[in-house]
Amino acid sequence: MGLGLKWYHFALWIGFIIFMLLMPEMVSKGTLRTIIFANFLAIFAISWDILSGRTGYISFGHPFLIGIGAYTTAILTKRFDVGVEYAIPLAIAMTMIGGTIMFLPALRIKGSYFALVSLAFMELMYQLVQVIRPDLTGGTRGMSGLVTLTRGAVNGYYLSFTIMIIVALSMWLLMRTRLGTALSAIALNEESVKGSGLSPTKLKLFAFMTSAFVAGLGGAFYVHYLGSIAPRALFDINFVFTIIVATLIGGASTIVGPMFGAFFLTFLLEYLRPYLPGAERYLIYGVIALLLYMYQPKGLYQIMINQFNRFKKDEDDG
Amino acid sequence: MVKPLSIKNLVKNFGGLTATDDISFDLEEGQSTGLIGPNGAGKTTIFSQIMGEYRQTSGIIELYGSDISKLSTPARIRLGISRTYQVPRPFSDFSVLENIRVGLMPDSIWKMITQGPNREREIELALSVGFSEDDLQQTPDTLSMGDLRKLEMARTMATNPKIMLLDEVFAGLTVGEINQIAKLIQNMRKENMTFLIVSHDLKALEPLVDDAIAINYGKIIAQGAFSEVISDSAVRTSYLGTE
Ligand SMILES: Nc1ncnc2c1ncn2[C@@H]1O[C@H](COP(=O)(O)OP(=O)(O)O)[C@@H](O)[C@H]1O
Ligand SMILES: [Mg+2]
Repeated sequence: MGLGLKWYHFALWIGFIIFMLLMPEMVSKGTLRTIIFANFLAIFAISWDILSGRTGYISFGHPFLIGIGAYTTAILTKRFDVGVEYAIPLAIAMTMIGGTIMFLPALRIKGSYFALVSLAFMELMYQLVQVIRPDLTGGTRGMSGLVTLTRGAVNGYYLSFTIMIIVALSMWLLMRTRLGTALSAIALNEESVKGSGLSPTKLKLFAFMTSAFVAGLGGAFYVHYLGSIAPRALFDINFVFTIIVATLIGGASTIVGPMFGAFFLTFLLEYLRPYLPGAERYLIYGVIALLLYMYQPKGLYQIMINQFNRFKKDEDDG
Repeated sequence: MVKPLSIKNLVKNFGGLTATDDISFDLEEGQSTGLIGPNGAGKTTIFSQIMGEYRQTSGIIELYGSDISKLSTPARIRLGISRTYQVPRPFSDFSVLENIRVGLMPDSIWKMITQGPNREREIELALSVGFSEDDLQQTPDTLSMGDLRKLEMARTMATNPKIMLLDEVFAGLTVGEINQIAKLIQNMRKENMTFLIVSHDLKALEPLVDDAIAINYGKIIAQGAFSEVISDSAVRTSYLGTE
């Protein structure tokens, strides 16, 4: 498949996985709960990266996709007593249909226009869940008392990490194939993609569906971790920015970058919480993201790569 | 004999302007045809219609005998026709090899995933258009106009065409670079490639073509052997003031 895998790729992934599996031994339950959020944010950031980081179709409406996954499984399990083993796959399938709907405007519009339309998707869904059948959606107050899949921080951590690492690894591998190159090419020059004999429509549809798959998966497991849905927090522009900033400071179009960006950002927000309990801390992380961006536009990922290469060079030099 | 490319009564209107005005011609298998005419004559617009980037107002475009007028650009390319652009359009963040890689990809997501890049072919194509080993990892922002045209050729060749349309291949090139590209075209002619070549540089074009079509204001004004076409009085008049 020409993935260009080297021994150190295996070493780094295995090292990272072992480190993360030992995490419950090393940190407090409180910290573990923070990392659970980081795992879910990582899933959402990876989903965003597959679509927007790669193809350049910037989504400001990712909670639309996450929300479809979350609400579908919540409604199915709570209102219709469907088991999670059916509800979650159905939720993911519904999200992929949502991804296809979000893809339709991308047939005709791009750039900031597409970003605005995607934002409208989120707003529309926010309005709809409040107005249409609040007996099902819980209206403005959302839903609580949903099935939870795990008990306690440690189990919640292992489940969220398992999902996150499977998503991260599989998407990282997928994007190392020629498909990843083709999706990046769309961001660079869609006309030249056509001129190379490739159908951008097919590629974009694949990106939207894959992004939606991951968003739906994350959204569904997230509600079954929380046991509740709060529409105001879900369909919130701050949530959108958290996803985007995590991706950008991590390094867009790299999969691994958004994963680390999600951890970095979650801990940053967590440590700022005592000092800045309100929404001001979003301002602070905006500033930090901007500074990092000015220092290294390709994000933390590139900083790590550069360090690693320097390390390797030292090794080679003896 | 079925013609590789056959154009019949092609018309393209842009509002009140008729950029292509009832143009008909055929390309012959393995032959190279020059398409000449002053700036704004409609040469590029003909290319764009053949490739499906512009839909013609009326007329028929046939590839090996079948009408391709309803096909998308990628579908036409898969049938074996490909073009270069007057202004090169590389993928800006990609290396020379990655640019060629995109051209070599099949239009199948499954095959993109399951089959790795063909590195030997990428390198072979890059070297065949005149890149050196050192150029392979360069990105377009570091390339000269000559190198960008070479890359444009390589990207086009990567789609494995039987018919190539070349738009102003020599514009902005040094004499050395013109010779390089000319040699490349000659080599492909020996391998039976069918060409339609637009160039302002008639001297460079002459040895590369079997015959020529001259157009002005979207109409064919002369057609036949290259030497006859360029000595045609209507063609000479059309070029006055633009050269
Ligand atoms: N997209 C367009 N919209 C309007 N007019 C166009 C467009 N493209 C080309 N034209 C006009 O069509 C005519 C032919 O242009 P073109 O095919 O680029 O000429 P050439 O390649 O022979 O220099 C010109 O008058 C040009 O201004
Ligand atoms: Mg032109």
